[in-house]
Amino acid sequence: MSDTTREWLLRKARGKARPVLKRRSRITRQNNLMGYLFLSPWLIGFFIFTLLPIVASLVLAFTEYDIFSPPTWVALDNFRKMLFQDNRYWRSVRATFYYVFTAVPLRLLVALGVAMLLNRGRRLVGVYRAAYYAPSIVGGSVAIAVMWRQIFGVDGLVNYALGALRIPGVNWLGDPRTAIWTLITLAAWQFGSPMLIFLAGLKQIPVELYESASIDGAGGWAKFVGITLPMLTPVILFNLVMQIIAGFMAFTQAYLVTAGRPLDTTNFYALYLYLRAFETHEMGYSSAMAWVLLLVIAFFTALVFRSSSYWVYYESGRVEE
Amino acid sequence: MSVVGTLRSPARLSKRNRDRIGSAIYHLIVVSSCFLMIYPILWMFASSLKGPSEIWTRLSSLIPKVPTFENYVNGWAGFGGITFAVFFKNSLFFATMATIGAVASSACVAYAFAKIRFVGRGFWFTVMLLTLMLPVQVLLIPQYIVFSKLNWINTFRPLLIPRFFGNAFFIFLMMQFIRGLPNELDEAAEIDGCSKIGIFFRIVLPLIKPALITAAIFSFYWTWEDFLTPLIYLNEPRLYTISLAIRSFSDPSSTTDWGAIFAMSSLSLVPVFVIFIAFQRYLVQGISTTGLKG
Amino acid sequence: MNSKKLNRRDFLRISALTAAGAALAGCTTPTPQVVRETVEVPVKETVEVPVQVLVEVTPTIEEKEPVELRVAWWGNQTRHTRTIQVIKMFEETYPWITITYEFATWDDHWTRLATQAAGGNLPDVMQHDYARLAEWVGNGLLIPLDDYVDSGAIDLSNVPDETLGGGRVNGKLYGMNLGVNALCMVLDTDAFANAGIELPAQNWTWADFEAIAVQIKDKLDIWGYGGNSLAHDQIWRSVVLSNGEWIYTPDGKALGYTDDQVLVDHMNMILRLQEAGVIEPRDEEVARASLGQQGDPLVAGKAAMGFMWSNQLASTWTAAGAERHFKLVQIPRLAGGLSAIYVKPSMFFSITAQAKHPDEGAMFINFFTNSVAANHVLLAERGVPVSTVVGESMQAVLTPDQIEMFNYMAVVPSDCQPVPPPDPVGEANVRNNVYYPEFVDPVLYGLTTPEEGVVVLRELADEILAAS
Repeated sequence: MSDTTREWLLRKARGKARPVLKRRSRITRQNNLMGYLFLSPWLIGFFIFTLLPIVASLVLAFTEYDIFSPPTWVALDNFRKMLFQDNRYWRSVRATFYYVFTAVPLRLLVALGVAMLLNRGRRLVGVYRAAYYAPSIVGGSVAIAVMWRQIFGVDGLVNYALGALRIPGVNWLGDPRTAIWTLITLAAWQFGSPMLIFLAGLKQIPVELYESASIDGAGGWAKFVGITLPMLTPVILFNLVMQIIAGFMAFTQAYLVTAGRPLDTTNFYALYLYLRAFETHEMGYSSAMAWVLLLVIAFFTALVFRSSSYWVYYESGRVEE
Repeated sequence: MSVVGTLRSPARLSKRNRDRIGSAIYHLIVVSSCFLMIYPILWMFASSLKGPSEIWTRLSSLIPKVPTFENYVNGWAGFGGITFAVFFKNSLFFATMATIGAVASSACVAYAFAKIRFVGRGFWFTVMLLTLMLPVQVLLIPQYIVFSKLNWINTFRPLLIPRFFGNAFFIFLMMQFIRGLPNELDEAAEIDGCSKIGIFFRIVLPLIKPALITAAIFSFYWTWEDFLTPLIYLNEPRLYTISLAIRSFSDPSSTTDWGAIFAMSSLSLVPVFVIFIAFQRYLVQGISTTGLKG
Repeated sequence: MNSKKLNRRDFLRISALTAAGAALAGCTTPTPQVVRETVEVPVKETVEVPVQVLVEVTPTIEEKEPVELRVAWWGNQTRHTRTIQVIKMFEETYPWITITYEFATWDDHWTRLATQAAGGNLPDVMQHDYARLAEWVGNGLLIPLDDYVDSGAIDLSNVPDETLGGGRVNGKLYGMNLGVNALCMVLDTDAFANAGIELPAQNWTWADFEAIAVQIKDKLDIWGYGGNSLAHDQIWRSVVLSNGEWIYTPDGKALGYTDDQVLVDHMNMILRLQEAGVIEPRDEEVARASLGQQGDPLVAGKAAMGFMWSNQLASTWTAAGAERHFKLVQIPRLAGGLSAIYVKPSMFFSITAQAKHPDEGAMFINFFTNSVAANHVLLAERGVPVSTVVGESMQAVLTPDQIEMFNYMAVVPSDCQPVPPPDPVGEANVRNNVYYPEFVDPVLYGLTTPEEGVVVLRELADEILAAS
């Protein structure tokens, strides 16, 4: 229940008098006003630019729409076809889940590790930070896709290095067992974004906390577990949620590097959805897929948020969602 | 390790030497992993200096046998008289304006969600997060129709104006940082008679600078490389952004001038890098809350 | 050296044959005498004075109010640059018309145009494709060009009628053919010479192909064949075509061929060759793809044969280097079967139904088709031009790869099939969601047999086509 309701009930139980309610309601009204004032940029934008397209896509999910002619209502047909008749759909789901559950933890661990490494403030750390962030900057360009294909190609750098170690080369991109790992390594390579956020979070931890802990005789590990981790938890929550969402919606790299091949092992959900919309002009089917994805992501995100009350520490206190 | 042993043994390394070795190892590990990180970028840059016969024949080498600038010349020429100077200008304009808009508006909204208790806060936060979870591909057509009715096609308006209305990712990011600030700060300010607006500008904003900078860096580079929305909304080549222009070089069904793509991609990394390096020192500053102790 | 210079009579014959070839009524043997008459046009056969040529071809230019025309096409940097040059030439000739152009890569072009169609924002003139024409016409997004042809605004007096067939849907002309091409097998003649193998004839069979490929592997230790997969959907069509059928029924509601065995045999051949290391295996092809022609084994000298559209020879040859030598032959046919290819319009210009200035669009199409000067800039990059006048005038400026392409397009019409009907709606669905993921890849990766595969292919394809 909301704060106001709980407070009201508490007051009722304690039998407080009216004047207190009046002061509270004035403050609440002020809060509401201020809240909506600061919220207004997003709210207005939402109503003008986002709400209508979202509702439209929801409606489209129940129609057959080839973009060129008006949509025709087909009720649950898209969902039925998707879940029961589409082999590619399930391959896509499998590929996406595999990716999320490997790439996301990998990326976050590397990002956190490197952020901690860089936080020590030794010399040249600015240069290192730029170097570690550089891969993320090249992001989703055509050039990086070509390069990545070259590196993992049959005669590419990776096989060359393996050959130097007398290990036989692997057809990374063409073998259905390994193709997805080219994308997972790509995701891990581009850990710059969560790393930067961890860094910013680390910087925000007041140094006095470490100082007083040192005075109390705490060692490095104790400081990490007792100060760093707890103070980082809001940022960890953020990165975890965002990376899960991004993982489920992974598109550009799969589109540019592997195009979903071979055998649909890298045909991520968002890519398959895009192909169904723009290659075969099945916008309705694609919208149905999108809304199923939204439900899945919402489910996992809710899970993480639910659990967050057990492990996330906010300096400004627990806030009800 | 026993205290007795350390006091007695002369062969023990002095702390300074141990530090030096530790530092050297640290730098060694970091430098070699940095090299791994940037190797593909170095490769791209090296390839941009290779002539067409060399690019695909001597793949792994980072040093071109016959360095040449022809890729830069060819690439810069662009298409039919529209050079990359135009594309750079467009991209710079787009990325800068979008960043200012996104960061400023997101900060306001984040403040509301993080610090103000108002009716419906939880509801709107959930809605906002949900908007992040819908793949943009299915919104393309309906959004296009909306903008088409507004007559904004073939301008930068559909790309820029929505960015002045908050970005869910940045909002959430800044929220987490604002929540990391102790409540005592605002309470002290409120007692001193400061309004919510004052608190926002005078206390919260300066303290979440790392988050603002981070958001700015992200926003810049995301808009810099976005090609899907420019593709849909910018029809005329003279409006193209760099990301779109570079894409237009490639055509899998015939020859692609990869040298030009690598050259222009290398060039297009420069502004993003510059922004990053210029702003990253703000990330370095931590906060000092000595003001609280008193 | 294959690239003998063509003399004038050869050239006229080429142009006429190219035109005569694509007849819906079937291919006929050429009669050179006919050529002389059609060359009679009120145009001087010179290249030096383009403006004069244009003035005589086009209708009178009156003072008009300014018009802004939008034109969209796909291609690469070469095509973009050349087309923009032509646009500037057009603007000089018609000063009251300014053209805003929009170009993109193949994929992006269709993404953007679909979005524009939904938003009511299509350009005036758009480049179109044979496979998609029917879908767009069916949705009322293009207007027929017949009125412009009849009135002479689009002057087709030098364009043989047979080249226009591919652009007709339901009897009306919706797309102006920008160049003809045909599928071909490209042979690295140097490799053949080194291996001591005679170049095959135009009517060679798949059995010949297999034998030659094995020989190449034995003698030179390179792949006999590499590049686009031999199971590519275009080859699928060619195999069925050679068997006398077409892959789709006339109404487009099901697969139109009854004999699955030819496909089974073909896939088995591919598997044999893959197994023996004679052709590039599927998983390596997947790993290499999307690099465009530079990654192509034929270009890199790793294979002696490859298939592509004839107008792609130019870029292939450029990527391979001028010192190489290539020859084009038809796609192999089945033993005892018909020719496996047809003369196809490589791409069209169409006028959209949302065009604000369709008349000026027609003028642009006319210019593109008939202007000799413009085509000297374009240099047949989209295929062999359909106008006989233009084709003839290009004789002076052809490079070896273009000569080979023109040569090939000259001999094809004497032994080819008529243009098949346009693909049905649902073709993209069948190709992307059934043919490759449920048939080709499982078979070539060894997950299923060709016999089982064709059953699945038919079942799923029929399902999709019936529903569309």
